Amino acid sequence: MINTQWRTTVILLTFILVTAVTGLFTGNFNLSTAVGSEWIINNIRLARIVLAVLAGAALGLSGCLIQGVIRNPLAAPDLIGVSAGAGLAATAMLLLFPDLSLFWLMPMAIIGALVTLLLLLWLMRNHSLNPARLVLVGITLSIWLTAFTDWLLVSHPQQTNAALIWLTGSLWGRGWQQIWMLLTALLILVPVTLTLSLKLNLLALGDETAESLGSSVLQTRKISLFLAVTLAAVSVAVCGALSFVGLIAPHMARLLVGGNHRYLLPAAAMTGALLVLLADTTARTIAAPLELPAGVFTALIGAPYFLFLLTRYRGW
Amino acid sequence: MTLKYAAATNLSADRIPAFSVFVLFVVLLLAGMACASVGGSTFNLTHQQLAQIFTDLVTTGSVADDLATQLIYSIRLPRVMIAAAVGAALAIAGALMQGITRNPLASPALFGLNSGAACMLVLAETGMIPLLSQLPLVLSTATGAAFAGVTVLALGGGLRGKLHPTRMVLAGIALSALLLAITRTVLILDEQAQQILSWLAGSLTDVGWDHWQQLWPWILSGIIASICISHKLNILALGDEMATGLGTSAWALRLWASLAIILLTATGVAITGPISFVGLLVPHLSRRLVGNDYRILIPVSALLGAALLCWADLLSRYMAFPSETPVGLVTALIGAPCFIWLASRGQERT
Repeated sequence: MINTQWRTTVILLTFILVTAVTGLFTGNFNLSTAVGSEWIINNIRLARIVLAVLAGAALGLSGCLIQGVIRNPLAAPDLIGVSAGAGLAATAMLLLFPDLSLFWLMPMAIIGALVTLLLLLWLMRNHSLNPARLVLVGITLSIWLTAFTDWLLVSHPQQTNAALIWLTGSLWGRGWQQIWMLLTALLILVPVTLTLSLKLNLLALGDETAESLGSSVLQTRKISLFLAVTLAAVSVAVCGALSFVGLIAPHMARLLVGGNHRYLLPAAAMTGALLVLLADTTARTIAAPLELPAGVFTALIGAPYFLFLLTRYRGW
Repeated sequence: MTLKYAAATNLSADRIPAFSVFVLFVVLLLAGMACASVGGSTFNLTHQQLAQIFTDLVTTGSVADDLATQLIYSIRLPRVMIAAAVGAALAIAGALMQGITRNPLASPALFGLNSGAACMLVLAETGMIPLLSQLPLVLSTATGAAFAGVTVLALGGGLRGKLHPTRMVLAGIALSALLLAITRTVLILDEQAQQILSWLAGSLTDVGWDHWQQLWPWILSGIIASICISHKLNILALGDEMATGLGTSAWALRLWASLAIILLTATGVAITGPISFVGLLVPHLSRRLVGNDYRILIPVSALLGAALLCWADLLSRYMAFPSETPVGLVTALIGAPCFIWLASRGQERT
């Protein structure tokens, strides 16, 4: 088995690397003729590529944790409203307190996402997290929070433009400052997430078996959900809502390496990174010099996949 | 048959409250229309001016030439009329959808009809598909709505004859996400984004009498068609077999109702953009008040939907005064919590 995991890892990393290098040298700006091409590569394209990889990895991990912990194949940070909550909190900060330093963007997004999760769990308190209904309530919650976000945008027309581009899930105009923020957050979160893999494997055996093997189910759930929400929030704080990445990445990873979380979690991070990188590269090259939001492309791939999952899902 | 029918629909028990509800909603609608015609403006518009306009129209057939009168007559009045008509259309479409699918969560927005219509409209307006641009607007939006409706029905298990409420809604929402992504791409590629973005959120800005002229024949025929089939919807509520036994073809009825739904939704979206949650909430609220008899439910829903959208329009002007919030946002802000309450209560009847 080990061979399969290694092979998959190598293949995924190669794909990411090839896409990254291709992305580095393609784009609207013709590198061979222009002056300052080195600057473009170092400061703009490289930053974007690193950011896409980091944000995608965070989303993939977040989705994987959520699906593992509530055993729900349809769940993902954006489908249960957590991303919308992070988006609302961050927009509120950008528009209502424009003088605050950007450092506070990430804590605010995390708080927004956590509050949304608590609200969702409170709404679902009588339903023992029935998968389909959880997603239904989650999606509506996210419609509601998005409506609030839009209202904030409409009522503060002066600052709307930057926030709007940011919200549609775009990687335009991000630089090294955001990368350091995201990197720091991930360096703390990812190792903690990976140590959970054994407990998540136990959880997959069912609540009772896990308890009898000496693992506290409730504690695992709480920690994993907290981590998942935080991971989604830091990614939203930097790139806006890239929809459906958290849904597809874990599914693809499961196909590639199977259900063992020791391999599944890293694989989900890598597939997430690859998805966002591909989406962003396509978004900025396909109609250059126009730039489409990367979120549009993740939705174009993700929504049909979600529909496919729906037709396969048997747990109604 | 008449006796059994009356018993099944609780007709006699609901007749008296239904009448008072009817009167209440007419008052609510008229008050909403009057307030929305003059409220929320930086100009000083009053109800006296509105009354004066009506007196002038009746007596002389023309209106005075001052600024306030012209503002009310040529900007506010068509806007209010359109809000009322679209509200009524969406509410009836929701009631019909809940009737023919027996799904309490059915509504034009949640089943993807709104996004389908919007997507086709954007494709037609930007000229991406030349053939589409030559069709009348309502016809292209109707195509989009019909396409989305059929897809959701198929994904929801319609092909195997087992419709599942939650599955249909989830399919509708996912399809909406897909169609919205396509719509956004087309808009950005065509660089007209700013103007149509506000329309996409469901907006009553910049509508005039010419829009009203395009709108009313379609919506009126949709409303009449729904009222004509309302008594058969009562029979359908007893179940497909019972309906067939009583001489109503369930599938033919579904087809006619679908045509009415598509007509009503497509017209609304073509003029005001996709407005969510009206079609879901209004029939539910009306059902609580007047019961399940569609002959009463449909007119009452129409009135309440019209009133709701007028008041929502008024609210949309005050929420971020002096700039204007798209009315679709207002309905989403009010509607989504109500829907969450409905969905988390968990009383799904299939």
